Amino acid sequence: MAKLTIGTETGAVLPASDTGRFRGSAGLSSVVLPLGLAFFVLAAWQLYVTIFQVPSVILPSPISIARYIVDRYDILLMHAVPTTLESAVGFLLAVLLGVAIAVLITYSDMAREALYPNLIFFQLIPKIALAPLFIIWLGVGSQSRIAFSIFIAFFPMVIATTAGFLSVDRGILRLCRSLTATEWQIFTSVRFPTALPHIFSGMKIAITLAIIGVIIGEFITAQAGLGYLIIFATARADTEVSMAAIVVLCICGLLLYGLVALAEMVANRFYSADSR
Amino acid sequence: MLSLAPKVERPAAEAPLVSATDVQKTYFTRQSPIHAVASASLDVARGEFVSLLGPSGCGKSTLLMMIAGLERPTSGSITLAGEPVASPRRDIGIIFQDATLLPWKSTLENVLFPIRILKLPMETYRDRAHGLLKMVGLAGFEHKKPGELSGGMRQRVAICRALIHDPEILLMDEPFSALDAITRDQMNVALSEILETYRKTVIFVTHSIREAAFLSDRVVVMGGRPSTIILDKKMPFPRPRRFEIEETQEFAQVCRELRLTIEAAHGHGQDGHEQDAPRPASSPAAVSVIE
Repeated sequence: MAKLTIGTETGAVLPASDTGRFRGSAGLSSVVLPLGLAFFVLAAWQLYVTIFQVPSVILPSPISIARYIVDRYDILLMHAVPTTLESAVGFLLAVLLGVAIAVLITYSDMAREALYPNLIFFQLIPKIALAPLFIIWLGVGSQSRIAFSIFIAFFPMVIATTAGFLSVDRGILRLCRSLTATEWQIFTSVRFPTALPHIFSGMKIAITLAIIGVIIGEFITAQAGLGYLIIFATARADTEVSMAAIVVLCICGLLLYGLVALAEMVANRFYSADSR
Repeated sequence: MLSLAPKVERPAAEAPLVSATDVQKTYFTRQSPIHAVASASLDVARGEFVSLLGPSGCGKSTLLMMIAGLERPTSGSITLAGEPVASPRRDIGIIFQDATLLPWKSTLENVLFPIRILKLPMETYRDRAHGLLKMVGLAGFEHKKPGELSGGMRQRVAICRALIHDPEILLMDEPFSALDAITRDQMNVALSEILETYRKTVIFVTHSIREAAFLSDRVVVMGGRPSTIILDKKMPFPRPRRFEIEETQEFAQVCRELRLTIEAAHGHGQDGHEQDAPRPASSPAAVSVIE
């Protein structure tokens, strides 16, 4: 018994201590290296622009972009808000739609057979080509951008969530049936938590696609938003502004991605917690 | 310690707890029907430990799943405490070959899983869960996740989980066959100790002759094609049982008889009763295959 314990303890603790080492003193490199590289590239960029006197229409320097962001953060923020909101709404609806379709596919053979081949076919369409049609169908308001954002983001959700629902251990399902568990109990206490890691990896793909969807929508038609600002500034050869807008867009994307990662942590804690 | 052996001179009025009569199971496939169980009749008394022994594919697991209500017999009837089994019942605890624990839940929460599903009061059963875990030597592991436990420990958790709602009957489907030989021996002793404390009626499916002989009050050998029950034998060893009995002449004799029965059914055609058939010279090799 004691020997058994020791054996598993080392087996279990090893991977954990490995990650611990990366986070520890030697793990400094995991922070220093990427930041160092980024700094190096920016410095090289700055030097190149300064030494060769590259016109800012072609390539503005990192410092001038940063200065623009600091000086005109009000304008950038004004455009960032609709883009971020529309991305978030599109993403949430894509997640709901994706999970709902995955439930349908999981529980109904008929739905699976009818939907799955069509979904795959759907995925083969270069969806960006359909973006102008959404404007025709839904008008120039945010609803068309949100709809397009859902349209391109929900597919990975369906695939990932379905894979998650179907990855449930058959033995556990048998155990549940032997305990006279209802379908709802099986779903809430086994199927859904089993699928969670899949759902979240689907969500991490979906959030970036949702942002892309909104930006494409804004490229086509919008009165505000970072995509609109990029197109507008580029048309006026104001490269500095469009670069600044791209930087802000990255920050917004990072923020949304961080929220998804945070939600994943909360969900994991909730499902692994002991009952009251 | 209490003896687990069925009470001698049980009055005839006491009906068997589990009763299978002429049970048959056929799977209909596109090619040809597969007769998993051709015909099986089996009575298990309250408190009895019965092993279903036989090689892979002899229908022993199928019979167990039918008793569990997870499969329906094609014909014949199964009753549990006099009631026909039509679907799974709450008074059964099942242990499968894999521990089938929820990987994101702690040991304690996994043990309490049936309580959650059966909507029984958590508080009442939490102490019982702690007691069971202590019994199987897992005190202090309550808050570990299954990934942090060894295979043997996980199977112990599964045993605790099967016992948590205090079922009448424990159905075990090759519970230790995924474990290494040493752990398996430890688990056999652990199981008999557990059952000395928590007395249960047990139906235990295995393809290990030694395991069946060591644990059981009765060993039921299944085999032949199509599969039937070919031997139903009482194990004469006293309880509580410890490893020492495996070294006795009597134990070796019983194992030999079980082995010969299985070989007769599978080495010599369909009839399982040809126990006096001449043994091939290679039978020791065949034993190692079966074990």
